[in-house]
Amino acid sequence: MKKINLKVNGVDYSVEIEEDVRLLDVLRNQLRLTGTKEGCGEGECGACTIIMDGVTVNSCMVMAFQAEGKEIITIEGMATKSGLHPIQRAFLEEGAVQCGFCIPGMVLSAKALLDKNLTPNREEIREAISGNLCRCTGYNKIVDAIDKASKYMGKEGDVNGI
Amino acid sequence: MEYKIVGHNILRVDGLAKVTGKATYPEDLYMEGMLYGKTLRSIKTHAYITVDTKEAEKIDGVIKIFTHKDIPHNYYGVLFKDHEVFCSKKVRRIGDPIAFVVAITEKIAEKAIKAITVEYDEIESVFDPVDAMKEDAPLIHDRSNILYHYKLRRGNIEEAFQQCSVIVENQYKTSMVDHAFLQPEAGLAYMEGDTVVVCAATQYPHFDQLEISEALNIPQEKVKIINPAVGGAFGGREDITLQIHLALATWVIGKPVKTVYSREESFVAHSKRHPMIMNYKTGADANGKLLAMEANIIGDTGAYASWAINIMRKAGVHATGPYEIPNVKVDSYAVYTNNPFAGAMRGFGAAQVPIAHEQQMDMLAEKLKIDPITFRLNNCFKLGSTTATGQVLEESVPLIQCIEAVRHKLNSKANDTEGV
Repeated sequence: MKKINLKVNGVDYSVEIEEDVRLLDVLRNQLRLTGTKEGCGEGECGACTIIMDGVTVNSCMVMAFQAEGKEIITIEGMATKSGLHPIQRAFLEEGAVQCGFCIPGMVLSAKALLDKNLTPNREEIREAISGNLCRCTGYNKIVDAIDKASKYMGKEGDVNGI
Repeated sequence: MEYKIVGHNILRVDGLAKVTGKATYPEDLYMEGMLYGKTLRSIKTHAYITVDTKEAEKIDGVIKIFTHKDIPHNYYGVLFKDHEVFCSKKVRRIGDPIAFVVAITEKIAEKAIKAITVEYDEIESVFDPVDAMKEDAPLIHDRSNILYHYKLRRGNIEEAFQQCSVIVENQYKTSMVDHAFLQPEAGLAYMEGDTVVVCAATQYPHFDQLEISEALNIPQEKVKIINPAVGGAFGGREDITLQIHLALATWVIGKPVKTVYSREESFVAHSKRHPMIMNYKTGADANGKLLAMEANIIGDTGAYASWAINIMRKAGVHATGPYEIPNVKVDSYAVYTNNPFAGAMRGFGAAQVPIAHEQQMDMLAEKLKIDPITFRLNNCFKLGSTTATGQVLEESVPLIQCIEAVRHKLNSKANDTEGV
């Protein structure tokens, strides 16, 4: 057993871990942040995408001890008390959600993109979600949603909730 | 009349839960004191088996190992009961379930799986459905490998082919496809009084209830299925995977049991799209009217039937495509092999045949020196058409408008490009 300290969605945690567990296991099984999904366990599908120190990572490919001292954002950290994040709102409005299993990862990949580039073109949006597989939508509505979110965020200038 | 939904932009009812990560898929369920289940699966395509669980049972933390000896009625299946819950004498494909280990942690269950010895006495396998149809082919089940033959006869193809100016004859093959729904199979079962509750993502909760009650030999009222959020299915969750295993374990042990498949296990656990071998002969007269079509379609259903009958019937019914052909002969077959089993997947048998009938149309048009769109318009279904099965189409048949719209878009796009 080993103890790690990490910040998730603005909250400090100190967690006892077995040394061979992945960050994904800590988030899901120990912190019960089950919005982060496991689709393949080998970094191909992006369902377990989170943001760690500002960069998207597949949490199935990160050992838990590597998260020591890191700042993490999961899907549970997107909405605020005042409402949905504009990205979440746009996904809902554009009908970008079907089975929903890829959506947490998609939303976080979209956030990582829009935090750096508030006016992406459709090619840049596709590039940003190229590590996230969706088996239902065919991606077009997801791209539409991220495009719409970029306009919301540009107009409102408030990325932390509406 | 004012519609409340049609014509309005509405939000999906489960959308909010899904964009916030709150939607609960079966692997998101946890219970106090729950145990973990893991499935031991066949690594051979066709073999008699002898299973020894003694060493595995001695491992600290193993609660129980279930095999065919523990299941009252060891069979299930959507059409035929040709699956065993746990293989008793022989395995018919890679991935056939042999045992289910229940332990206090997932790691211990994995260790126990490795400690079970399975002796495989291999039998000749057959992977090509054409070979499997031969009389001397190894039998997958205790009956012919040909489990279904659909026949469609209309008019007289021999006479009609003699009147044709052009005939094209080709073989087409489609491959096996996995649904690859994003959420691998997972489930949690627990007791609620004397009722066993199974939470699993399924396309068929009422049928799961029936299959579990039959396999466990308990009344249907003692089985409750809860279908939480389903992470995609596309037909791949129509057949049972872990539902009976979880129900049995919880029913016997009395404690909650959870199982989550890896992606790799998901691939071997559920059905596939039927690969088809399609032999087509299609003929038309000099004016570009279709006169005759003959098709022989062989569907590889792998080790189990699943929905093979319905799927190969549908492939046969749709074999002409959306075209009026007065003389038609179709034979479609579902055949057992030792491949992964095939079942429902988007289109349900209707998705494979267009690969064949549309390429036939293109080749006939080329031979006739007719534009392929015009050739289709000359032959396609419209109001009042009779299909090869004798159905008269009396309702909406907007195919001509659809093809015209495509032609218009294609032409305007071509002009745009030329303009640039």
